[in-house]
Amino acid sequence: MSATSITTEALKLEPVATEKPIGQWGLAWRRLRRHKLAMIGLVMLALIVFGSLTAEWIAPYGFETQDLDRTYAPLFAPGAPGRPMHLLGTDSLGRDVASRLLYAGRISLSVALTVTVLTIITGTLIGAVSGAFGGWVDMVGMRLTDVMLTLPQLPLLLIMSSSLRQFAQLQKFLGSNLSVAIIIFVLVVFGWMTVARLVRGSVLSLRGLDYIAASRALGASESRIILQHLVPNSLAPIIVAATLGFGDVIIQESALSFLGFGIMPPVPTWGNMLNAARGAPLEYLFTQTLSPGFCIFITVLAVNFIGDGLRDALDPRLKL
Amino acid sequence: MTNFIIRRLIQSFVLLFFISILIYVILNIVPGGPFDQLRFSNPRVTQTHIDRLNAMLDLDKPLFPGQYCPMVNGVQQPCRFDQGRYVRWLVKVFRFDFGDSWTMQVGTPVLTLIWRRLGYTVLLMGLSTVLAILLAVPIGIYSAVKQYSIADYVATTLAFFGQSMPTFWTGLMAISIFAVALGWLPTGGVRESGAEGDIIEALMRVLTFGRLYPELAGQEGKFILDGLRHVALPVLVLTYFNMAAWVRYTRSSMLEVLRQDYMRTARAKGLRERVVILKHGLRNALIPLITYLALILPGLFAGAIITESIFSWPGMGRMQIDAITNVDWAVVQGLLVIQALLIIFSNLLADVLYAVVDPRIQYS
Repeated sequence: MSATSITTEALKLEPVATEKPIGQWGLAWRRLRRHKLAMIGLVMLALIVFGSLTAEWIAPYGFETQDLDRTYAPLFAPGAPGRPMHLLGTDSLGRDVASRLLYAGRISLSVALTVTVLTIITGTLIGAVSGAFGGWVDMVGMRLTDVMLTLPQLPLLLIMSSSLRQFAQLQKFLGSNLSVAIIIFVLVVFGWMTVARLVRGSVLSLRGLDYIAASRALGASESRIILQHLVPNSLAPIIVAATLGFGDVIIQESALSFLGFGIMPPVPTWGNMLNAARGAPLEYLFTQTLSPGFCIFITVLAVNFIGDGLRDALDPRLKL
Repeated sequence: MTNFIIRRLIQSFVLLFFISILIYVILNIVPGGPFDQLRFSNPRVTQTHIDRLNAMLDLDKPLFPGQYCPMVNGVQQPCRFDQGRYVRWLVKVFRFDFGDSWTMQVGTPVLTLIWRRLGYTVLLMGLSTVLAILLAVPIGIYSAVKQYSIADYVATTLAFFGQSMPTFWTGLMAISIFAVALGWLPTGGVRESGAEGDIIEALMRVLTFGRLYPELAGQEGKFILDGLRHVALPVLVLTYFNMAAWVRYTRSSMLEVLRQDYMRTARAKGLRERVVILKHGLRNALIPLITYLALILPGLFAGAIITESIFSWPGMGRMQIDAITNVDWAVVQGLLVIQALLIIFSNLLADVLYAVVDPRIQYS
């Protein structure tokens, strides 16, 4: 290949550069859109969120409407004369399972979202303070993280959620939302460590990098360095961790509710519906178990797909 | 290396000390002790009874060293210094004495309770972990070597499914399909009702050459077979769940190795593909898996809380739930501290093993 052909090649390519430049996030979105599983996950999650948000309008029954003539109805069972069909059957009190699943999704998803947001905030604060201040502050922060990571999680979640219920003042203050508030609190207390480590790590490593020093040498202000370089570069792993964490929170919340330590009936969640299914006579176990568990499975699967896609899209250096 | 281990041991010791304080505080700041529920179930129980019960368990003393002002029959006694329940408990823990159970089996040492359950959990967790690794490692390797083939897509999708299916769902589904609809396997428990022995007792008899459980002579085979039928479903559920993670670890570790330069060198030398994959690839891909192998240890002790409670398996996981619902903090403290100890130890073990297997790793 001669030198002239290279120059013409370069000249041909030039018009592309005059197009509107694609930023880091635009590139990431492009890569994410090519990730088939992540797109499937996004569609699945969008459907689930839509279904739960519009539960009032699309659910054929209320979540507490009972039809005592039709308990443990099978899938596709007809409703009372003039009432809609029980698409997914009814439970022990004759409540429509499909409607309850929609309302339950609302609780499970909003608990998971709240926990994830609070986890990111707490983790970022602790991690950033540790990384920025260093010294004994860092020591205390990181030893605390170690301690929390070493504690056996599930038993302590069970203990704390059953213990906090004993505090009478909390009960008076929060009323029937108590079990929801407790679950959010304990899941945040045991969930912030991953984010804290990530944030601390990236604050420490980015501070010493050449391009930070370079932009400082070019006269960039401290706030510009933070907003232009530190935040975008440490955001990617946090977003991935938070997405995958969202799935974990859904599983943890439903596990606690399943074991009877989580969100209490009559508030329906997928977990406590499964707990109720456990008490059903054995011949009804399959129909009672199938749909609530499937909702958890499909939601977590969707989130895991998205998380996997995000990891590939946001951090091309990290393959799998 | 020796320096590294010594330093880590000292750090672990300090870490464990803080963990023990935290566990003790979390358990004991809750209002109402283990006997609070007695008053609801039996109206004749008065505060005096409860006070006396609490005094028996040392619960009237302060948590940490401080002043102790006892009330005896409503009369205030002079205050005196008390070293506190935590210190007394910690001193006993150093001698590996975790005290006696409060409510589950009053007066039985916690360690005795643990010994009674440990066998069941080790059997369940051991079987499911070994099966998961034996199945998952070959699948992960195959799926990495044949990346983007149909087999790879099937394996990764199934691994995704396994990670997204909570065991409390797969467990209930397994019961309703294999135990209820098909009737192949029992729904839970360890033994047929009315059986005079079970798989653990039979195995203990075999392992001690008949010294333990002499009454089971000649029936070991029957009980072991019956036990395997009972353990099959929980093992199935846990194996699938664990497999998902192991397939992903193995696959990604193998993919990493496959694009190394020494793989190309091996091929360029003219080695057969089999030798390249198995000798140069696999052996290096297994190194990071050793870390995960060491992290199994705490689970072997702690058991699977959810799976054991679904299948009424009398292991350590069920014991934790039972102890928590019965407010038996003596048992819970013991279990949590031993678990934390094992977690710390297995982390250290993983680091050391890693350095032993992989000479590129050096700790300073």
